Amino acid sequence: MQVVNTVADSDVAVKVTSLSKRFPNGTLALDNVSLEVPRGQVLALIGLSGSGKSTLLRTLNGLHAPTGGKVVVQGTDVSTANGKSLRKLRHHIGFVFQQFGLVGRATCMENVLVGSLGSLRGPRLGVRSYPVALRRKALEQLERVGLSEQAFQRADTLSGGQMQRVAIARSLMQEPSVLLADEPVASLDPESANQVLDLILRIAREDGMTVICTLHQVELALGWSDRIVGLRAGQVVLDQMNAQLSQEQVMEVYRATGTPMQFDTESVLQSA
Amino acid sequence: MSPSATKERLSPPITATQVQLFIFTVACLAAFVWSWIFLGMSFSGITSSFGDVSRLVKRMVPPDFSNISNVVDATIETVWMAVMGTAGAIVLSFPLALGAARNTSPHPTIRYICRTVISLTRAVPDLVLGAVFVSALSIGPLPGVLALAIHSIGMVGKLFADAIEQAAEAPREATISVGATRRQTTRASILPQAMPSMIATALFRLEINIRASTVLGLVGAGGIGVLIQTSLRSLDYESALGAVAVIFVVVTAVELLSVRIRSAILGDAAALAPSSRHGWFSQRIIARDTRVNRKSFETRALSPPWTWDRMFSTATISGFLLALAVAVLTIDIDWARTVPLMPQIITVFGDLFPPDFTTVRSEMVTGIVESVVIAVIATGLGLLIAVPLSLLAARNIMTKRILSTVTRLVMLAFRGIPELIIAVIFVSAMGLGPVPGTLALTVVTASFSAKLFAEALEEVDAAPREAVLAVGAGKIQEFFASVVPQFMPAFTGHFLYILDVNLRSSTVLGIVGGGGIGFLLLNSMRVLEFQTTGAIVMAIFGIVLAIELIGNWVRQLLR
Repeated sequence: MQVVNTVADSDVAVKVTSLSKRFPNGTLALDNVSLEVPRGQVLALIGLSGSGKSTLLRTLNGLHAPTGGKVVVQGTDVSTANGKSLRKLRHHIGFVFQQFGLVGRATCMENVLVGSLGSLRGPRLGVRSYPVALRRKALEQLERVGLSEQAFQRADTLSGGQMQRVAIARSLMQEPSVLLADEPVASLDPESANQVLDLILRIAREDGMTVICTLHQVELALGWSDRIVGLRAGQVVLDQMNAQLSQEQVMEVYRATGTPMQFDTESVLQSA
Repeated sequence: MSPSATKERLSPPITATQVQLFIFTVACLAAFVWSWIFLGMSFSGITSSFGDVSRLVKRMVPPDFSNISNVVDATIETVWMAVMGTAGAIVLSFPLALGAARNTSPHPTIRYICRTVISLTRAVPDLVLGAVFVSALSIGPLPGVLALAIHSIGMVGKLFADAIEQAAEAPREATISVGATRRQTTRASILPQAMPSMIATALFRLEINIRASTVLGLVGAGGIGVLIQTSLRSLDYESALGAVAVIFVVVTAVELLSVRIRSAILGDAAALAPSSRHGWFSQRIIARDTRVNRKSFETRALSPPWTWDRMFSTATISGFLLALAVAVLTIDIDWARTVPLMPQIITVFGDLFPPDFTTVRSEMVTGIVESVVIAVIATGLGLLIAVPLSLLAARNIMTKRILSTVTRLVMLAFRGIPELIIAVIFVSAMGLGPVPGTLALTVVTASFSAKLFAEALEEVDAAPREAVLAVGAGKIQEFFASVVPQFMPAFTGHFLYILDVNLRSSTVLGIVGGGGIGFLLLNSMRVLEFQTTGAIVMAIFGIVLAIELIGNWVRQLLR
């Protein structure tokens, strides 16, 4: 089950050491979390709402600043990066949101082009304000997610699954080495959810991307990822390659909180 | 994919909507430039004008409060006029709204008639109505009250009807299905849903009417407005500032109070939500509401508990009714003498017909063109100032709290003085003419639209903003990529609304010597040329209608 300790540093995409995050209102969202994700791994992050999954993802690209510990992504220390270096790092980390984060009134094409802002200087407004080369690239990404026909349709005219695919195309514009996805299918029907997850997995394999994805559905997590990490009340309570896992073991993460987990929690924490 | 097809698909297709919006934008810019040249405006001229105004304001300091008892009396009269006018408007608007709303109207014909009445009342400025009523009933607060009541129907009736139409359909069907009559259905399923919004509308109108009633005195319809004009004309600047200060305090206090009450009644999450930023009071109320709801079935009373919401609405309504009672009893209206005069109003309205367009044709054309030009420049310049101000004021854009608070206070301060009072001051400083009127209207436009824009900016969805920041965009890039596209429809909508308001305002600026058709309008009534008055009212009506049609066209493009 020890996925992690053995990998050489150069092959580590994300390394989190004793990470803590306390919000100004006092909530301790992350409590001494340590995690190493090797390059190219597809990792599913599971846990109840409020267990700290989203917070963990957001500290990985600097949307939240940690209150303790260290986060290193692709060799850059996120916890100390700021301004320009943080923007540069974010440009190489894709982020897919549960609510898509699209500008509804803008066309799909423009929403995808937004993904290239980190490589451009100055503000842009409207598709025509982006270089033709980038527009071509944006169209290719839309083609990849199967929506090039809808390039000039307003984003708010699409279905939920289509919107999430546009959001993925936007991330692809960043040519990310790491893709973070926060409940990417929680707002979708089962069919669209499968499509979107298959798309993320296919792209991850094709491009050799590291993927960290929070998920609610245990079956999806088991069938789809290489490794599952469970969070409860801000602590890692499960960390295993999913070949070794049964559905029951994973469901334990969702068991009513209050009592600490008995089964191999300690060994997992030691290994992580 | 052929190369040409690829190329075509790399640029967005040009749609008819875009072409029309482009034409509209170009037309607006052209109208602004033409108006600018027409009035002979220049930036150096504007700078020196504000120099004149600041010199006058310096002479107004320190304010003289020796006349304070008169000022306070006049202010109280002003407030009572607003309360009575608003009450009248509510009473008149309610049946009209029921008739105009799709889900309560008994017949399409009645619906059409009600809608027409509602939009007609909005088209005639309150000052013009005031002037007409003064000539029928002689000077005093009653013509002012009537003018406010009639003119307010336009807004109150429309918003009441909107509130009724927005009531969810399911409860209505459910009520009908238990065998309720039409009136029972309206009472049981529609009014409870529409009520919070209707109370908020009435309060908002009260706030507007307090502003409006401060200037009705300029046409002899009662209130404090005339005191200021008299002081300025007799060069008693210190007393003028004393009166302005009192108005300022009243208007600002009413606005602050009304905003609070409205957001509480409309169930604004920010006003009542339990959050750590909230004080002990709302915390306790929420705790109490929770206790009430947890009572066991047996111990619950058979009448509804006094929850926070219920106490608040009841206090608001009874407060208003109390104010109304005091107003009716104490206001200086000789009901016995004036009520028999009411039929004369109809006579005066009859005198407006047939409208006489010929006698002063060239003055009329000049006056109307001038009014439009004033409105166009005031809107353009006002927006130019309002946009940066609103960026400073919006708390989700300007993250430095102090800066946004200071900007909000400055905007609030300027809104505290009604626009015609500002116009009176500008005219006293710079002399008669359209330029002081334009600049006064610009100042008002800037502070009002900055408020509207700041509110619209704060409503921008935060999810796309976070997503754009996550791709590594800078702050300015993020603003253009996610905030601007979301803000554009609200901006255009508010722009049309402000242009509409300014056109109405610019038609009455002439009453205080601020240019436009207003002077001719008031003069025609003074010399009893009522048919000319009729013609001018028709012309104003035409302009307002035209701008409404343009507004509808552009709004439909933006949908």
